[in-house]
Amino acid sequence: MKKIILSLLLVINGLMSSFAQSNTGVEMATGLRSSGKIYVVVAVLAVLFLGLAIYLITIDRKISRLEKQQKE
Amino acid sequence: MKNYWWKILAILLLLYSIIMGLLGHVPALPIVHETIRNVYFHVPMWFTMFTLYIISVVYSIKYLSSSNPQHDLVAVESVNVGIVFCVFGLVSGMLWANFTWGDPWPNDPKLNGSAIATLMYLAYLVLRNALEEEQKRARISAIYNVFAFPIMIVLMYILPKTTDSLHPGSGGNSGFGQFDLDGSMKAVLYPASLGWILLGTWLLTLRFRIRKLEYQNDIRVD
Amino acid sequence: MSLLKEVTSLVRKEILLEWRFKYAINGILLYVVSTVFVCYQAFKSVDPTTWNALFWIILLFASVNAINKSFVQESPSRQLYYYTVASARAVILSKISYNMLIMLLLSALAYLVYSIIFQNPLGDPGLYFVVVVLGSIGFAAVFTMVSGISAKAGNNSTLMAILSFPIVIPLLLVLIKVSKNAMDGLDRSISLDEILVLLAINVITVAISLVLFPYLWRD
Repeated sequence: MKKIILSLLLVINGLMSSFAQSNTGVEMATGLRSSGKIYVVVAVLAVLFLGLAIYLITIDRKISRLEKQQKE
Repeated sequence: MKNYWWKILAILLLLYSIIMGLLGHVPALPIVHETIRNVYFHVPMWFTMFTLYIISVVYSIKYLSSSNPQHDLVAVESVNVGIVFCVFGLVSGMLWANFTWGDPWPNDPKLNGSAIATLMYLAYLVLRNALEEEQKRARISAIYNVFAFPIMIVLMYILPKTTDSLHPGSGGNSGFGQFDLDGSMKAVLYPASLGWILLGTWLLTLRFRIRKLEYQNDIRVD
Repeated sequence: MSLLKEVTSLVRKEILLEWRFKYAINGILLYVVSTVFVCYQAFKSVDPTTWNALFWIILLFASVNAINKSFVQESPSRQLYYYTVASARAVILSKISYNMLIMLLLSALAYLVYSIIFQNPLGDPGLYFVVVVLGSIGFAAVFTMVSGISAKAGNNSTLMAILSFPIVIPLLLVLIKVSKNAMDGLDRSISLDEILVLLAINVITVAISLVLFPYLWRD
């Protein structure tokens, strides 16, 4: 664990000293981004989340209806 | 519109965090690479859990001073939802740690602290099951909840700061703010956290309303 | 009657009761000695880290067993009597201070027996002693309140363990860390932060117990 912390500190140190030269050494998912495929992932996640949100809303409304029934 | 604007706000904020969290600019860092985007999803789990536990302790205090059974219901349901978020946080953290620190359970004070805090709230639920009588259950579990809460704060916020940790912002590690020079990460993290907290509160109110219906049903049957 | 007077008379009553029967205290002392001996037989020789951890685990279980009884042995009618003569704050304060006395005795004995049987060099015995004192006070404060809660919930000892262990773990972690520092004889300024955390935990638990116990007490 100490090794990891030490290396992390070293890396931070390196970054601090060379932040101006935009660190190109680190590999990021640029391929997925440039080919535009990342939008597919975003769309899928957004659809899934919206589905869940709508499901939540229907549950909410159902409970509201039950509460109304209870009052009567 | 008056009552549910915050639910819509929660959905919009989370949608924003999903889209911007994946497409937005993040600093390129070694070891974490693209997984730095997990910050937008893993960290809010803990914020939400903590908010729910605070709600729970506030309602436990309220119960002790008012003896209103509804306050007890809010307290227990927020613990229930809080435990769900705690599990989400632990599982997502383990997944992330496995790929960046090479170990799903590194011996890190934050991990151990949150595991122990989970035990604490599971103990709260066990205590509730051990008590039959309704008022007694509500009162004694509220007492335990208030008693355990400050110790949980020590566990999760004070201890990790004094010991070595892999997490940023503790044990001499630098926080994320250092890498996020243009504030682009903050612009996603804060709305995401607020969105998740609102969603957690929403779930809490749903569970509370179901419990209240059940409770009133029981009274009617009796 | 002032709170202090009530507390002192209640503590005196506890000590008198204990002195008359001697059942609980003797049992617990025997428990500590035999656990230490069993550990010695099982381990023979251990490295310092294990030595330290083992000591705190022995102390933890001994204190759970010692304090578990503090509310159980009172019959409901006697509790009703206290309720009429003393305030709830006085009751919990007297229980906590009595348990602290017991724990100090217990940990002193445990430490003595443990270090005689298991020989181990200590770098800074003074600091180690301070940590043991702080630790036993903390254990007493946490376990007294939890034993009150579990006594109200039907008195089973499993519940006591489930409720108290998550609460006591933070205390235990800090204790093990500081006492390890003391064993290695590190400079005292390093341990200052942890000692402050220990003190804070002790003060917080006693304060919350004082606030919460009246709610637990009225039935």
